[in-house]
Amino acid sequence: MARARSHRYTESPVLQLAFPAWRSRLAALALLGGFAVLAGRSFYLQVINNDFLQEKGESRYRRELEISASRGRITDRNGDVLAVSTPMRSIWAIPADVKLTPEQSQNLAKMLEMDGRELNRRLAEDKNFVYLKRQIPPDTGERIAALKLPGIHQNKEYRRYYPSGDMTAHIVGFTGVDDKGLEGVELAFQDQLLGRPGFRSVIKDRRGQIVEDVGSVKPPQDGKDITLALDSKIQYLAFSQLKQAVDDNDAKAGGAVVVDARSGEILALANWPTYNPNNRANLSGAQLRNRAVTDTYEPGSTMKPFSAALALEKGKFRFDSVINTAPGKLTIGTATISDSHAHGLLTLAQVIQKSSNVGIAKVAGTFPPEEMWTMFDNLGFGQAPKLGFPGEVGGRLRPWKTWRPIEQATMSYGHGISVSLMQMVRAYTVFARDGELIPLTLLKGDGNPVKGERVFSPQTVREVRAMLEMAVQPGGTAPKAQIPGYRVAGKTGTAHKLEGGVYARKYVASFVGLAPASDPRLIVAVMIDEPSSGKHFGGDVAGPTFANIMSGALRTLGVPQDAALQVAGSNAGKEAL
Amino acid sequence: MSMVQALNQPRQEPTEVDMLLLWSVLGLLALGLVMVYSSSIATAEGSKAFGYQPAYFLIRHGVFLCVAMVAAAVAFQVPVKVWQELAPWLFLAGAVLLAVVLIPGIGRDVNGARRWLPLGFANLQPSELMKLFAVLYAADYTVRKMPHMHDLKKAFLPMAGAMVVIGGLLLKEPDFGAFVVIISIAIGILFLGGMRARLFAVLFVVLLAAFAILIIVSPYRRDRLFGFMDPWSDAFGKGYQLSHALIAFGRGELFGVGLGGSVEKLFYLPEAHTDFLLAVIAEELGFVGVLVVVGLFALLVQRAFAIGRQAVALERLYPALVAMGIGIWMGVQSFINMGVNMGLLPTKGLTLPLMSFGGSGVVANCVALAILLRVDWENRQLMRGGKV
Repeated sequence: MARARSHRYTESPVLQLAFPAWRSRLAALALLGGFAVLAGRSFYLQVINNDFLQEKGESRYRRELEISASRGRITDRNGDVLAVSTPMRSIWAIPADVKLTPEQSQNLAKMLEMDGRELNRRLAEDKNFVYLKRQIPPDTGERIAALKLPGIHQNKEYRRYYPSGDMTAHIVGFTGVDDKGLEGVELAFQDQLLGRPGFRSVIKDRRGQIVEDVGSVKPPQDGKDITLALDSKIQYLAFSQLKQAVDDNDAKAGGAVVVDARSGEILALANWPTYNPNNRANLSGAQLRNRAVTDTYEPGSTMKPFSAALALEKGKFRFDSVINTAPGKLTIGTATISDSHAHGLLTLAQVIQKSSNVGIAKVAGTFPPEEMWTMFDNLGFGQAPKLGFPGEVGGRLRPWKTWRPIEQATMSYGHGISVSLMQMVRAYTVFARDGELIPLTLLKGDGNPVKGERVFSPQTVREVRAMLEMAVQPGGTAPKAQIPGYRVAGKTGTAHKLEGGVYARKYVASFVGLAPASDPRLIVAVMIDEPSSGKHFGGDVAGPTFANIMSGALRTLGVPQDAALQVAGSNAGKEAL
Repeated sequence: MSMVQALNQPRQEPTEVDMLLLWSVLGLLALGLVMVYSSSIATAEGSKAFGYQPAYFLIRHGVFLCVAMVAAAVAFQVPVKVWQELAPWLFLAGAVLLAVVLIPGIGRDVNGARRWLPLGFANLQPSELMKLFAVLYAADYTVRKMPHMHDLKKAFLPMAGAMVVIGGLLLKEPDFGAFVVIISIAIGILFLGGMRARLFAVLFVVLLAAFAILIIVSPYRRDRLFGFMDPWSDAFGKGYQLSHALIAFGRGELFGVGLGGSVEKLFYLPEAHTDFLLAVIAEELGFVGVLVVVGLFALLVQRAFAIGRQAVALERLYPALVAMGIGIWMGVQSFINMGVNMGLLPTKGLTLPLMSFGGSGVVANCVALAILLRVDWENRQLMRGGKV
């Protein structure tokens, strides 16, 4: 039937008219026109406007990946490594992606050395990111990566390792888990040590897998290495000798500093107690303190040579001016100053040699307060030494206008003024440098002597150095500070400690000295806090430690001897004049 | 060349079918297979649902193509007259399938649309078949009503009624894309068949108003419309899919990032191997690749109309309308799909004919083109004085 129908219509001439050709042309043209529009649109999207679209695309799947930079090493002056970064891994998870069988979970916990329940608790957290464990060894990281656990990822990070451990802990300091310096040089030189992480640009698929690396890679800039002035051998010596002294004297704490008098470089800085920077669990504040820099103490008699120098400088006294120290007591206002041993008539040199409080107080009494204050100020007391160490202190030096006569007197022998051991060493550079005060530095210098600020004339300083030599010779306060083969100049300090505003029967014993006295190369300062095994005089407690450190350091540096191997005679000091 | 030699040359036999059409179809099918594989590798490899097999879609699309080739070969053997006789019955069967697919428990629901009938080994999408049946039926209807084409009641209303039923079933799924294509086929064939121009103009206005109302009333379609207007205003929400398609175009530039190099197909662009296959082509093969696809479709449409006009010249009206109807189908559907990919048209679920992944679509497309080739073959037979 259908066939018949079709046949009939197709043969009808009327239908030819009813089937106008223009309609099919129009329909075909409309469709082809549509395709032309598509081609044009495609050209617009792909060739003309593609920058905009590509930018949109990059904002969706282009990611900047950080390439971690390694923190700079810290070495001593000879290149021995004191702090170094070793690569570690941190394991983290996207909890929603993690689907572990009980065996896998158990296995992972074992590798991470974690409690299985703790691991499951962390994986149950409703977060996009949780650390499972940080700073695990790289080989463990590799083994975990080999398990290909979904949702478990790892990052490369660094762990700081300190090969010399507690010996250099206070100088080097340490970093926190994010590579941020928290103490010591690690904090002081954070900017230099810190690397600048690099970036590589990658395209990631929607599931976070990296598809390809695209250009614009910024290479990581590793942190700069820091070379300290420190000499590991001398540091070891200072550290072990200090430890020995603290042990022997049942002391609470101690500090020792060795400085190169030519360059101002700090060759050693040791404190006790200390800590192991590689394992900082159970760390106490006392262990952490870098006492030589952050703690002040009343220095006692190590201050005396400065007043003697000022007296010589101003021409009020000569080397052999006689001062009456009898009867070993001096009353100023309501207070009385006393010597531990009464002496009688002493020359200025002997006042230093015997360490007479009365003698130096009488000398200081002749100074206008402003003059004395200016000297202290020129010596850097009351100002932090600006080494860059965290927590550096400047000690206490009150303005001269408030000084009472008794205070001026006590300050001449180191009470009523507080300083740090580092400040004391810096002030002693004037005696090692013929009157110049030089800045101290933690960093290794270029080997050239540094310029200083003149405080005293060379002539004054030579005379004071002679007095200081006398102090370590028989008849002085510190014969135990002598070193065979070298002439030593130095001064003891035995200060009462202030406790709650009252001087207690507790002491700080110290010794600051320089050698060889004919051409000083090193300054060594030793401070022992609260020696309590019977001896408390600086000459007995700190003197021998000073001698051991100084002689070892001189030998280490190969400093030529300037005295016979026998202990020098009592008039050696005079020859220096 | 001497006369004798020329005479001795074997005579160039005229070809049996339109080679340009055949090659453009084979070209689209081949490029489609390659691009379906390329665009689906990551999805297939990364999904448990596809067994983590990279070739999951390649294998299936390959099997569909084989089935489609066999179906096309069979369809080519069937005289156009037979198709005409079968047309009303096929149309009815298609309508029944469209109704069946809506029955809960029978039709399969994917992403909120119930468009598939599970057959065990594969899913049948009745709306794809309905496009072919609509061509066959609308052509038959138009030929039958030709004497009454000036008469609104006799020529238009019965067809309009049929379209309302079919359209209603399609919108119920919902399958707005198939709805638009089938309406376009029906109106196009009525237009070609000589329906009065004024009627057509009125119809055009009414349909436009109907679309507008439909879009305003249905929030789901309105959202899709707004997403298309400015995909960047809500690029991670409603404009997500389109914005990624556009990014793919932008990345492709003139020559593309290279086959396999698409980033958008890596889980960013949803439906990369079906509705948004062109975006992956644009990214990997560039403007040149898109131009080839557009050009092949344009050629296909042009050949379909040329074959149709040839049939008109031979006074074979039904084959003429079938040929042009297939041209309209392929043209409209590919235009809409590509327009959607480029952000020219609101996003709707329409595949790229002959290329996108999908068994029912590929089989229906191939059968339709086999019928088109059959029309051409019959034309050529008649021109040589043969019989059909």
